[in-house]
Amino acid sequence: MTKKVSEMPFDQLDLKRAITGDERAMQRLWSQHAPHIDAVVRRLCGDPELAADVSQEVWMQIFRALPSYRGDSQFGTWAHRIAVNRTLNALRKIRRLAKLETDIEDDSALIEMDTDRTFLAESIEQAMARLSPGTRAVFVLHDIEGYTHGEIGVELGITPGGSKSQLFKARARLRRLLAHLVDESIPVGKGKEHVAPV
Amino acid sequence: MSHLFEDQLDQIIASERARQPAPLNEWRTIAARAREEGLIRESQSRSWVAGQPWIQAAAAVLLLVGGIAIGRTTIALPSSGHPGENPGQATISGTSTASTAPAISTMGDSFASVDDASATLERALGEYQRASAFLAANSSGPTTADSSRIYKDRLAALDEVGNAMESALRTAPHDPVINQYYLATMGARVATQQMVARPVGLALRGF
Repeated sequence: MTKKVSEMPFDQLDLKRAITGDERAMQRLWSQHAPHIDAVVRRLCGDPELAADVSQEVWMQIFRALPSYRGDSQFGTWAHRIAVNRTLNALRKIRRLAKLETDIEDDSALIEMDTDRTFLAESIEQAMARLSPGTRAVFVLHDIEGYTHGEIGVELGITPGGSKSQLFKARARLRRLLAHLVDESIPVGKGKEHVAPV
Repeated sequence: MSHLFEDQLDQIIASERARQPAPLNEWRTIAARAREEGLIRESQSRSWVAGQPWIQAAAAVLLLVGGIAIGRTTIALPSSGHPGENPGQATISGTSTASTAPAISTMGDSFASVDDASATLERALGEYQRASAFLAANSSGPTTADSSRIYKDRLAALDEVGNAMESALRTAPHDPVINQYYLATMGARVATQQMVARPVGLALRGF
């Protein structure tokens, strides 16, 4: 059976075609990578409408930068890096990520606990949207995308220690927001402390 | 207030990591942006023809002229043109067609306006459709097996010329000379196809 265009793997020939502006090749590239690329954009933005706009910018940047792709890494990895950088830049531009360091110092935990009492997140996505932009960025990059605290520090312009603090804060808040989702059937460990990769 | 344990949260995170929701935009949205920025290359032949209705009309006229000219000259019928008509006015892409249809007699005239020229093109298109239908149904002379073979050979040759012209168009999409040759070739091809498809033995009764 003939594969649909969207199911075909993105290969070197398609890459060359996409560089020359071949729409079908570009569409194949987008179809294959959009789910992963758009997911990280959506998580970092925490707002679907903003994420849709940022995603357009991300894909334009990917297409613009295609000629510079040298094949040193997987295409998906290369595109993912562009997505993260572009999204963080977009968040900075709209000042949602402007004062990340002050987020760390901001002692708003009591206020958050108070508001979290009345909010029941239906999903982790909803819960992540409740995090401050800086905290969410650290959590997404570390716990979901697998960045180290050193890499996050470079991306966000903070220290590795600051990244760890943000992550601790993010996870603590998520545990509160998602507590009601967990029923008795989920196996519970021994209440160990956070052991995310560093 | 209750809390999840760390490993419970890790399980939820693992599920989220594996989840890949639908893209945030549709391809047409992305493509529209890419097109705006010139990142998508338009198909040259498609955009060139689709974007310019007058070219389609001009193609129709050339098809008309080419079809009739080839039909007449290849069957070697005596001219049915008007006496005293200037043969030079009936030259298409270097092919002298002294016996072309009346529509061609206006080609040397100037037009008063764009509307005037458009109306002429529309009339020519109608003429072309009428002539095509007539040629498809009638013969311009007794068709023999030999002439049928000649048409088939010509059709094959015109296919090659057409391919070469398409290639030339990709190189120089806006060159008027190349476009003229291309349209004349396609007109001749359509006319030849009609001659090939015509049953042997039919004769043209008039037009």
